[in-house]
This record gives sequence, structure tokens and C-alpha cells, in this order.
Amino acid sequence: MGKPVNQRSGLGLLFEGLGTAARDATLGVIGCGLLAVAVNAWLHPNGITLWTDQAYEILVPCPEPGGEVTPMAAQDPRLDDRASFLVDARSQVAYSSWHLAGATNLTFDYLDPTPDEAVQGLARAAARSRAERVVVYGDGEDPDSGEQLAREISARGIKNVFFVRGGAQALQARAGSGP
Amino acid sequence: MRRFVSWSGHAWLALPARGYLAWLFIAACLHKIAHPASFALDIATYDILPVVLVHPLAIGLPWVELVAGLALVLGFRTRAAALAVSGMLVLFMVAIAIALAKGLDLSCGCFASQALEQDPISGWTLVRDAGWLALSLYVALFDRNPLGLDRWLVVRRQNG
Repeated sequence: MGKPVNQRSGLGLLFEGLGTAARDATLGVIGCGLLAVAVNAWLHPNGITLWTDQAYEILVPCPEPGGEVTPMAAQDPRLDDRASFLVDARSQVAYSSWHLAGATNLTFDYLDPTPDEAVQGLARAAARSRAERVVVYGDGEDPDSGEQLAREISARGIKNVFFVRGGAQALQARAGSGP
Repeated sequence: MRRFVSWSGHAWLALPARGYLAWLFIAACLHKIAHPASFALDIATYDILPVVLVHPLAIGLPWVELVAGLALVLGFRTRAAALAVSGMLVLFMVAIAIALAKGLDLSCGCFASQALEQDPISGWTLVRDAGWLALSLYVALFDRNPLGLDRWLVVRRQNG
């Protein structure tokens, strides 16, 4: 029972009843857990298994490149004119296998930013070619490496950057060759 | 201090704190209840718990948040609900502190299983959560005769 209220210290009064509250909280958590398991098992359309021993493939998202870019269709005639400086964002292997004539390879890495010297080299090459626009194409996946690289180089100062919707797959289909 | 602790105005001061915390936790839990797989991925990304505990936590935690939030709103077992909220906030803060110490760059998974830019964690996340923890501890320690169902039940018991 303890001391009467008017004899308890402030601190004692402060913590009075906390034991009961802690007990209620514990019982509540257990009850909620049981309710959750039941709902997950029998009612939830997107329920997950209670146990898993398979490790998750954790992809820690990198900060999204944030520059402004314009999408371009794979059939766009501007892809063939001299005013477009073409960039292939895929791996060296993919680039060696197939690439648009005149395209420069600059592989986009989802985990690390493109090195400064690579972006500066790209800018210098585009300027030397007297191109009016930089057109990037990638793998056409979701997310598209071409769009990601386009946003990154746009965010780092390169102007008039486009990316090809559908990437290399769409371009190869346009050219009539298989993926 | 005794007078301060037993001051009847705490019930009124705690009311907006209860409402705010309830809104926070109910808003936070709905997406997690609807998409447990996505929330499980968020938990796993912190890389703290053994993998066998990820799913039970992803399934159970949102419901604890929901019920605690509702209890705060209704004023039912208010101090217990505030204690549960405090416990959860301590857990979240520990997890975020560990993630920050590891240098992980990830969504806190607090309000949605979305990309980093939507809800990035930082030291300010810890400050924010500490503020919420202070509110919940205030309710747990000082709201001794909370407005709501608890008080109604007490009165009913006294009259009955």
C-alpha cells in the first residue's frame, strides 16, 4: 500500500503507479503481437512469413542525381545529327558489344559518383565537337542507367542533357538488330 | 515537487501531447501495416537485428504503434500507452544512432518505405525523436489522472 499520499516524497509520487503502467504496457505489447500475427496470417492480403532465415539483399540507395534532363524517344531524328554528342552509360563490355556510332562510353556506377575528371573530360569533348546537346543512353532498365547518368552530369553543370527512353534496347530495336 | 507532481493541470497539458503523439504513431503505422514486406526491408537495411527477428518485428511493431496511438487518443491506459511509446522511441533512437555511427545512408523507414531523399536520417532525426520521447515521458510520469476513458472509468467505479 505504501505511505499516504501526503507523506510521499515528490519523487515517490512521480513514480507511483508506473509499475502498473509498465505491466499494462507489457501485456498490451504481447496482445498486439498476437493480434498482428493473426491478422498477418489470416486476413492480410500482403502478409509475410513470420520467420525467414534468408538474408535480405540490402541495397542502400545512393543520393539521387538531381539535374534537369529531357527524355528523348529512340526514334528521334536528332540522335543522328551532328549536334548531338552521344554518351553510352553502360558497362565497357556492353559498349564493346554494341553502341551507337560515335558514342562515347562513360559507365554509370550506382554506388559511386562519376569522377570529376571524367565529367570534365566529357564536357571538353562535347564542347570540341560543337554539339548543341548531350544525349545519354543506358541499359533501359528501371532505374535506367542512362537517365541516372544524364541527371548526374546535368547536376554537375553540363547543359542541354537528354536521355533516351528505353536505352540501348530501344535503340537496337530501332536499328533492326536484336537486343 | 510534490505539489507540482500532483497538480491537476497536468491532465490538460498532457492532452495536446497525447493527441500529437497519437497522430504521429497512427500516421506512421498505417503504411507499415499495409506493406509489411517493405517495412521488413527497411528494418533489415539497418543491419542490426538477426534476420530471424526481422519479420516478427515488421509484423508486430506497427500494431503496437496503432494500439498505443489509439489508447492515447481515447485516454485508456494512458500511462501504459505513453510508456510503450517511450519504449519504441528509445528503440528507434538506438537504431538510428547505430546506423549513423556506421555511416549508413538510408531512409529511416519511419513514415514510408521510400527512397533516401524522402526521409533521410541525420543527427536531427535523433533530436526530433528525443523531443517526442520527452513528450511521451511527460505523459507517462505526470498525466496521473488522464482525461478520457480512464477518468470516466474511475468516476464510474467510485459512483458504482
